[in-house]
Amino acid sequence: MQTAKGQLAALGAPAVVFTVAMIAFPVVYTLYLSLVAFSATGATSFVGAGNYVRMVSDENFWNGVVVTFYLYILSLVLQLIFGTALALMLFRAKRLPGFVRSLFISPFMMPPVVAGMMWLVILDPSLGAANYILTSFGLPPSEWLASPQWVVPTLALIDTWQWSPYVALIVLGGLQSLPPSVYEAAEIDGASGWKRFWRITLPLLLPTLVTAMVLRSVDLLRFFDLIYITTQGGPANASLTLNIYGFRTGFEFFQLGYASALMVTLSIIVLGVTLVLNRLRHAVAW
Amino acid sequence: MSSLANRPSDRLIAILDVVLLVAAGIAVLAPVAWMVLSSFKESYEVTAYPPTIFFSPTLDNYRSLSETTPFLQFGINSLIVTIGSTALGILLGAPAAFVVSWTRITWPAIVTLLARMAPGTLFLLPWYVMFRQVDMIGTYGALILTHAVITMPIVIWVLLPFFDNIPRSVFEAAQVDGCSPVRIFWRIALPLVVSGLAVSSILAFVFSWNYFLFALVLSNSDTKTLIAASFNFIGEGSTNWGGLMAAATLIALPPLALALVVQRWLISGLTLGAVKG
Repeated sequence: MQTAKGQLAALGAPAVVFTVAMIAFPVVYTLYLSLVAFSATGATSFVGAGNYVRMVSDENFWNGVVVTFYLYILSLVLQLIFGTALALMLFRAKRLPGFVRSLFISPFMMPPVVAGMMWLVILDPSLGAANYILTSFGLPPSEWLASPQWVVPTLALIDTWQWSPYVALIVLGGLQSLPPSVYEAAEIDGASGWKRFWRITLPLLLPTLVTAMVLRSVDLLRFFDLIYITTQGGPANASLTLNIYGFRTGFEFFQLGYASALMVTLSIIVLGVTLVLNRLRHAVAW
Repeated sequence: MSSLANRPSDRLIAILDVVLLVAAGIAVLAPVAWMVLSSFKESYEVTAYPPTIFFSPTLDNYRSLSETTPFLQFGINSLIVTIGSTALGILLGAPAAFVVSWTRITWPAIVTLLARMAPGTLFLLPWYVMFRQVDMIGTYGALILTHAVITMPIVIWVLLPFFDNIPRSVFEAAQVDGCSPVRIFWRIALPLVVSGLAVSSILAFVFSWNYFLFALVLSNSDTKTLIAASFNFIGEGSTNWGGLMAAATLIALPPLALALVVQRWLISGLTLGAVKG
């Protein structure tokens, strides 16, 4: 028995050692880094909460908070709406071949960096296909990613293109697990399709939707690849999320201490939102 | 009684369903089609305005990609890092998932999940300092180790339900016969979860291949992965859209092809068990 326990521990040990060395220790180390300042010579000095105090009066930090949440909420709402709509369509189209179905779902398997390259060309303000389509419908062309006003909605739109299929995949799983008897009962009672959706399907889907919200929130709050590849936070800091700001502070300006404080703050925000949504998940469970 | 009255509106709904589905299909696939089309266009054609849909295709962009950039070397780097980190993820994650399933001690698995939630920069800052101290920045080793932080949680969470599905009586019978846990893992459990191993390695491969941030900082010009090198292609791409789209197409090809292979298992794998597929 003793050896059995020992063997189990030995099987799990490599993963535990790896987790401690590559995950737990670095997190603790970041917490420490967030309390120090690096001088030009590389020497460190302990500044206590100094880096955190500096955030309060840093307008780029507050701008980052606003941009992060603007992008997060806009993207999340769009993806939940389009994702649910796509899931309902695919759920009804029962005769759609599996291969076509997986094509519908495929965009989020593409690297976000490639999605960024692709949309950079499509959304080019002067030669892009998007503006050609807009103007041929008599609409004014847009500056898209080059406009401080439109850059966040444009990023949200690109992310929605890529990740609505992922939300659809999750919602589809939820739809398939709904008891068919509920629908049959509603149909016999003569409830219209619209009414069935609002009164029956949507409430029963709520737990699934909250799950999708949790999974998307974690990614959206630390939105990085797409922004870094397209705008790097510009124009005029209009897409400078906390994550991008923290990264640039650390690896372009080499203020590792302040960057650590920014990342600790962002991690706490992600954790907080996740915990709140988890509460919500328990509240809507059935 | 109502079936007769319903018929015309039923047909209308059926038509509407098809129209919506086609519209959704265009919205999802048209940008990708545009990317692939552009990659086969001559340089004067790719920036033509109004954009052209019909043109005589050329492979020039792909050819010049291999001639004027170290595209092949970046591709090999990507493969080394991706395969290395996938293997390491399996090596660490498979026994760990078995132990979690056997003992029901879940905290190590939850810690790895937290690692998936934190912004990558949180780890990157200390890693940068750590790897600089041991002079590992720019090495494949640093890239494989850091990418395993992405792959190991995927392996653990995908394999866990597969191990859970093996009846406990199988393990108990083996134990009565004097089988040690290591032997049970290696001889009995692992062969029973081969399909889980396949799904988890493919998902780990895709996510490691797609990962941008770590290689952006920890690679150098010799070990740069394709994803990290994308950044250079964009700099050059302002004058050469055809080349940029050819690079984008090639980089997206492996994960998209693999995704289509494992589409049946995508749900449970991608949601880390949060949704039953």
